[in-house]
Amino acid sequence: MKKVAVIAVSLVLAGPVVADEFTKDDTERWMEQFELVAAEGRRLWTSPEIGTNGVACAQCHPNAANTHPETYPKFQKQLGRVTQLWEMINWCLRNPLEGDELAADDPKMVAMLAYVHKERRGVKLDPGKH
Amino acid sequence: MSNETLNGRRDFLKATTSGVIAGMLPVSLVRLAGAAESDPDFTFAYISDSHIQHIKGNEFVRNWDRGLIRAVAEANLLEPKPDFVVFGGDLAQLGTKAELDHGAEILAGLNYKTRVVMGEHDYYLDLGEYWSDLYGDHYYSWDHKGVHFITLNSILTYDDWTFDRWESPERRMNEMAGLDNPNGSPFMVGDKQLKWLKKDLSKVSRDTPVVVFSHSPLQKIYKGWNFWTEEADDVQAMLKPFKKVNVIYGHVHQIQYNQIDKIAFTSVMSTAWPWPYPESYAQAESHLPILTVPMNRADPFNERDATGWQFMNMHTGRVDLEFNLYNNSNRTIAFNRDKGHPEDVTFSDAKTRTPAQSHF
Amino acid sequence: MNKLLIAACLSIVAGTVAAQAPLGLPEVPVPANNPQTPEKIALGSLLFHDVQFSATGDVACATCHVAEKVFTDSPLSVSEGIEKKTGTRNAPTVVNAAYNKTQFWDGRSPDLEDQARHPFLNPVEMALPNHEPILEIIRGDDGYLKMFRDAFGVRAKDITIDHVTKAIAAFERTQISGNSPFDRWYFGGEQDAMSAAAVRGFAVFLGNGRCISCHAIEQDFALFTDHQFHNIGVGINDIQDRVPELAHAFQVAKNAGADVDVTVLTDPDTSHLGRFAVDDQLSSMGAFKTSTLRNIAVTAPYMHDGSIETLREVVEHYNNGGVTPADAAVNAFLSGGIKPLNLTEQEIDDLVVFMESLTSPQFEPASGESVATATGSGE
Repeated sequence: MKKVAVIAVSLVLAGPVVADEFTKDDTERWMEQFELVAAEGRRLWTSPEIGTNGVACAQCHPNAANTHPETYPKFQKQLGRVTQLWEMINWCLRNPLEGDELAADDPKMVAMLAYVHKERRGVKLDPGKH
Repeated sequence: MSNETLNGRRDFLKATTSGVIAGMLPVSLVRLAGAAESDPDFTFAYISDSHIQHIKGNEFVRNWDRGLIRAVAEANLLEPKPDFVVFGGDLAQLGTKAELDHGAEILAGLNYKTRVVMGEHDYYLDLGEYWSDLYGDHYYSWDHKGVHFITLNSILTYDDWTFDRWESPERRMNEMAGLDNPNGSPFMVGDKQLKWLKKDLSKVSRDTPVVVFSHSPLQKIYKGWNFWTEEADDVQAMLKPFKKVNVIYGHVHQIQYNQIDKIAFTSVMSTAWPWPYPESYAQAESHLPILTVPMNRADPFNERDATGWQFMNMHTGRVDLEFNLYNNSNRTIAFNRDKGHPEDVTFSDAKTRTPAQSHF
Repeated sequence: MNKLLIAACLSIVAGTVAAQAPLGLPEVPVPANNPQTPEKIALGSLLFHDVQFSATGDVACATCHVAEKVFTDSPLSVSEGIEKKTGTRNAPTVVNAAYNKTQFWDGRSPDLEDQARHPFLNPVEMALPNHEPILEIIRGDDGYLKMFRDAFGVRAKDITIDHVTKAIAAFERTQISGNSPFDRWYFGGEQDAMSAAAVRGFAVFLGNGRCISCHAIEQDFALFTDHQFHNIGVGINDIQDRVPELAHAFQVAKNAGADVDVTVLTDPDTSHLGRFAVDDQLSSMGAFKTSTLRNIAVTAPYMHDGSIETLREVVEHYNNGGVTPADAAVNAFLSGGIKPLNLTEQEIDDLVVFMESLTSPQFEPASGESVATATGSGE
């Protein structure tokens, strides 16, 4: 009941809801949703289950260090062309972790990308830097 | 390599005395001008952080296996032969009997006497019990050709974390196995070893060169990744009175070197994989040693990039260290007598640095 | 003499035509101290084919580097010099060698100019005692004297072996070939240039085959080599138990002044030490230079000792993780990137078809094109 009352009050105070507006509550909620996904990314990052040989990403990349998300897209010798970060995550999944690749929009890939970027927040973009 | 370089190298080899094949040992064994007669004159090899990792049954992570196998095969080719080999800790990844046995089997291929240092990945499953069956004491000292050697077990931690915190040994090992695990606990040598160290050093003259082997750095570098020893100040204070002290440590899987008073610190590389420098973690502050030249990361995706083993030359009473890297240019960190600290002999001058040394 | 002049004219024409790099290749690197000129190229071609520069008067560069065989002596495993003496190594192609950062399987020469000096003196190749006999022949030949004057502005008594090797190198720099079906498909955007199997094979090349780790390609050109040296378990596997003695014996000999060029070509076991024999680095044990894959289908047999006959067997060797047969012992110095690949039969077949698509049109055996022009420059 209280919740409904609060909403009713905000409706009264704010006037009619405009189609394209979102509130501070929305942005906070959406940031939390990012944090959830990033936390799942951290879990996958340290999990031996993402490959087939027990090796975890964190073994070579503690706190996702040395992944350098701010430099992609860039030339990567292993694919012989300019590539994106998710393609190189797949390279690691296939090679040192001896596992299977993930689609770019696979929830696990999205989670790991969220984690990698979170650990690198604040570093300015430098695409192509090798 | 141009012919000119080849001929130059041939002349260099001819110049070494006693017909010794210095070809396998790039570091010169020619005595330094002004070296005292009493200075020691021998080499030893150092292999570290193999992280043998069991998958299931008879399967181990091939990548780590091959790194150790290669170090053993190459070390066996050294001429002149080193006096002994040290294994710097973290033979296994999760401290299981299977891993320790598999690693010990590979290490047994070395043609030299081997001394072993304890690493946290060897210790936290059964607190070093099986390791002792294989290798004996967790800490000890010995003398060799006028040098006093000490091996410390520097990866212990607080009692409540070790004994009370975790519901099973496996859980405890897994928690310590994550370098960046916020549930981890800082490394230490502990009171027992501090007392033992004090007593051991009291019998050593101030002029005797001292070399300490430790898995953790005996410095406070970056706590987040346990590049750390809690009692670093205490240990350093005990070593301070000696004229020539060298600390060699593993654990960090990268090239680091530093000088604190008369103590020269040098890290060794892993045979398994390299780690990022702490300064590359954007969200944390770290206190790096005066790191002059980072290791090469020529091809981060190459399985053997920034991995290898090393050998040490004791001819000045100080450790001169040659990194023998499988996929990168070898690096030599020698003690510069004029400057009074370890220095990279090739890349100290910023103009000589290669792009691979700032590459990640 | 007339025949030589005709050949020279043909060479001049071909030399000037080959100015722009073919599709799939970058500009040919040319050293500042040896710029390309038609005169040098023509002279280099003659020198390359001249059998007089050998102890028995019947071996030239072209003996082992035959233009019609993509400048190799396929199907020989190892080359034959004077009196059919065999060496230990398979003759690498000259085609696209201009892009290599070092020459020879073990990279013991830094450039084409230096490389050309050595076979003249090797006992199993041309077996001359020194370079003097070459210079004497040149100084006694009016045709040569005129060409050296035209190419270098140098008089008879001032001609040195450096002029000879510079001319040969200049000729070799015209032997480049691209524009293969792969180049047309990947860089040229021609969707139908490669078969479906070859396209699948390229995916294996990039993915499960891991070939691209060493047989590198880039955004707008493909040399298919990283110019580095890798132990992939060929040759070294056979001597792996004796590496300590062999390495020791080699070092003793080298210390005493033995010429590496002679040692590695006259003793098969020493040859398998690879790059170690050149740079004395333990990490180079049994390592050899990554070959280009261009025209690989027509330059069998394979590896530094020509020990693998077909492309399929090459892929199987890699699939086994650097051993043949699959249960043989892996050598301790194996390059870190070599491991069992678990490719399916289909993937292996497709990978071979892909490699066959790397043959440039002028070297396609079924093309019916005449290969009369000795220079055979790329389009």
